[in-house]
Amino acid sequence: MWVYQKKLQYPVKVARPNPALARVIISQFGGPDGEMGAATRYLSQRFAAPNDETKGVLTDIGTEEFVPRCYKTTI
Amino acid sequence: MAENNESKEVLLHRLQVCGFILVELNEYLDSHPEDQDALRCFEKHRAMYEDASEAYTKRYGPVTILDHAATQGNRWRWIDGPWPWETEKEGM
Repeated sequence: MWVYQKKLQYPVKVARPNPALARVIISQFGGPDGEMGAATRYLSQRFAAPNDETKGVLTDIGTEEFVPRCYKTTI
Repeated sequence: MAENNESKEVLLHRLQVCGFILVELNEYLDSHPEDQDALRCFEKHRAMYEDASEAYTKRYGPVTILDHAATQGNRWRWIDGPWPWETEKEGM
């Protein structure tokens, strides 16, 4: 199913870590507009998808929704 | 292999760049599965990614649990730091 790759998708240099800012950004991960909700919706909707192309798109975009989480913790 | 002489930063950067290209092509190919240019581009960058991954993981540790480096030296190296969010200078 899912494979975790031990690297950031895009190189980042954090000059000044800011935990308070990070806390605000991370809070956006949940809730109705957050990535977590989006990921769960796409990964659930793919089971009712009408064709292979749609199943692929929903699976892969749902998977990618978890990437921003790694950047928020890096900040 | 030319990659054996390249630095950690160069190899990691290549993994990140090729990896990102492959993710984007993946999304595109999902809805354009017959696009020959995109297929060739994917194959080219997958080969580049595999070469860089082999050179990087041999010296610096595993990127996925399926890499040989994960069990190198009779130890579960997967858990060894740094983890990607522990940045000093740049990501990982």
